[in-house]
Amino acid sequence: MNFELTEEQNLIREMVRSFAETEVAPSAASRDEEELFDRALMYDRLGELGLTGIVFPEEYGGAGADYISYAIAVEELSRVCGSTGVTLSAHLSLCANPIFMFGTEEQKQTFLKPLATGEKLGGFGLTEPSAGSDAGGTKTTATRDGDDWILNGSKIFITNGGDAETYVVLARSDKSAEKHRGISAYIVEKGTPGFSFGKKEKKMGIRSSPTMELVFENCRIPGANLLGQEGQGFKVAMKTLDGGRIGIAAQALGIAQGALDATIAYTKEREQFNQPVASFQGVHFQLADMATQIEASRLLIYNAAYRASAGLSYSHEAAMAKLYASETAMRVTTQAVQLHGGYGYTREFPVERMMRDAKITEIYEGTSEIHRLVIGTALIR
Amino acid sequence: MNILICIKQVPDMESKFKVNAQGNWYDRADLAWRMNEYDEYAVEQAVRLKEQVGEADLTVLCVGPDQVKETMKKALAMGCDRGVHIADNDSCMREPFAIATMIADFARDKQFDIIFTGMQSQDRGSAQVGVMIAELLNISAVTTIVEFAYDNGTISVKRELEGGSKALVTVTAPVVLTCQLGLNTPRYPTLPNIMKAKKKEMLTIAAATDEQGRQETAAFYFPQRKGGGLVLEGDPPELADKLIQLLKEKTGALA
Repeated sequence: MNFELTEEQNLIREMVRSFAETEVAPSAASRDEEELFDRALMYDRLGELGLTGIVFPEEYGGAGADYISYAIAVEELSRVCGSTGVTLSAHLSLCANPIFMFGTEEQKQTFLKPLATGEKLGGFGLTEPSAGSDAGGTKTTATRDGDDWILNGSKIFITNGGDAETYVVLARSDKSAEKHRGISAYIVEKGTPGFSFGKKEKKMGIRSSPTMELVFENCRIPGANLLGQEGQGFKVAMKTLDGGRIGIAAQALGIAQGALDATIAYTKEREQFNQPVASFQGVHFQLADMATQIEASRLLIYNAAYRASAGLSYSHEAAMAKLYASETAMRVTTQAVQLHGGYGYTREFPVERMMRDAKITEIYEGTSEIHRLVIGTALIR
Repeated sequence: MNILICIKQVPDMESKFKVNAQGNWYDRADLAWRMNEYDEYAVEQAVRLKEQVGEADLTVLCVGPDQVKETMKKALAMGCDRGVHIADNDSCMREPFAIATMIADFARDKQFDIIFTGMQSQDRGSAQVGVMIAELLNISAVTTIVEFAYDNGTISVKRELEGGSKALVTVTAPVVLTCQLGLNTPRYPTLPNIMKAKKKEMLTIAAATDEQGRQETAAFYFPQRKGGGLVLEGDPPELADKLIQLLKEKTGALA
C-alpha cells in the first residue's frame, strides 16, 4: 500500500498546473462570459502537451501513462477552468476510450490515433430527449442496408458537439430485441451526409464548453464503423461511463480545489472588524471541512483510477468517487461564495463561475441519484 | 558538441518556510520542490542549441539527496540526454566552493564545450557556483546572459549589466555560461516526454565530501517586522510638496 505519487505523476501535475495557470486561467472568465470554445487553447494546446491521449499506448499515439495521471491532468485544468477540464474528459473517456476498449485494430489505427494525438476531437452521443438516465430507452435507430448502417434520430446535450470530428453514437439496431440488448455503438465522423448539428445549449455553467444536439437523417455509415459487436451497445455505453466517472470526478475535484484556494487567499486579504476574515474560528471550521472533503474526494478518485490502471474492477469505486466528488464540489463552491460575501456573488471573483460549473458535475455522466442507485443495488445484491 | 547543464532543486518559492532546528537554514520538511528557475533557462538554452546544431549530447547534473532525481527527470523530459546525480544528503548546507569543486571534479576530463548553469539559485542565491566551476577548470565564464547565439564555433551572448544596459560578448568554447531571466521561455515537458524520461540514463556517483569548509551559514532568520507605512493626508497640491520633501530627505530617489 503506497499513497505517494510517482515522480512522473508529480511532474505531470507540475507541468499541467503551470500550463493551466499561465495559459488557461487568464481567459477563463471571459470565455465563460462569451460562451467561447477556444479550440486552439482548450484542445490543440492539450494535444501539443500530450494530454489528449494520456492513458493510451504509444502505438496508438498516446503517452502510455496511467489513470491517476489522467485524473491529475483533468483536476489541474478544472482547478482554473471547468470547461477545459470537461473538454478533455469527454474527449478521452467518452470517445477515445470506447474505441480503445472495443475497437478493432483497424478502427484503432483509423480513429483512435488521431484522437490520441490531438489531431481530432472526440464526442459521445448517448443522451436523447427521452433517454437520459434510462440509456436503455434509446430511440435513435440504426437500420442495416447492405454492408452499411442508416442512422435516424437525435442526441442531445453532447459535450464537444459541433466542434468534435469523431463521435461514438448509440442507436437501436434491433427493435424486436429486449430494450438493453437491441442497442449498438457506431463511430460517426463529422461531415458524413445526413449528420448535422442542432441547437447549441445555453447553460448555467461550463459555458465555454460547447454542448450541442446531434441530428441524424438517413445518415449512412459504413459497416466498418460498428463499434464492438452488434447488440453490444449498452455494454459499450456502461463501460465507457465507468471511465467517464473518473474524469468527471476529477473535474469536480479540480473545481472544488480551485474554489478553496481562491477562498483561502481571499479570507486572508479581506478585513472585517479590523482583522482578516481568516482569523475567525468560524471561518477556520468552514475551511477545514472544505479541505477535508476535497482530500477525501481525491483519495476516492485515485483509488478508482489506480484500480482502472491495474486492470481491477472499478465501476463501484468510480461511482462512489463521482458521487462524492461532485457533491463536494457543489458544497465547497457554495461555501466559497458565502465566504467571499457580496463579492463572491459577482463575476469579479472566480468562485461565482466555479459554483455554476460545479452544479453540472452532479448531473452529467450519471446523476447523483443514479449513482446512489448503482452503489446501493450492488450492496444488497 | 558536448554540453553540461548544472541544475539545483529548490523549494517552491510560494512554500511556507520555517527555520530549521539548528537555526541555520530552512526546514526541509513538507516543502514542494522545483527546478531552480534560472536553471530552467539553462536547460532550455541547451536543448535549443541541440535543436540548432543537430549533433549534441546534453548531460544534466545535480548535487543533492535522492529526491533531486525528480527534478532531473524534468530536465530529461525537456530534452537532456542523460543525468548525473552527485549523491549528497548535506548539499543544502555546503558552501558554493564545495559544490563547484564536486562539479569541476566530475567535468574535468569530460571535454564539455559549454557548461550552462543558472546565474544563481533561488534559495541560497550566492551566484558563485558557475564562476567557480570555470575557475577550477581554468576556462572562461560569462555571467547573467540574456541572449545566446551560436554560429560555426563562435558563441555570442548578451550580458545584463546594471541600469538596463547590456554588453555583447563573443567567446569560444570551452566556456561556462550562467543564465538570467529573459534568456528564453522554458518549454513545458510534454506528457509523453515525461514518461520517456525514466528510460534515459541516470548515473549516480558518490560525492567527495571531505572538503574543508571555508564559510558557514551562522544563522537563518526572518527579518523583523517593520512598522506600517507613512500615510499623508491633506489637499493634493500640499500632499505633493510633502511627498517631494520626504523623498528628498529620506531617500536618494530625487538626489
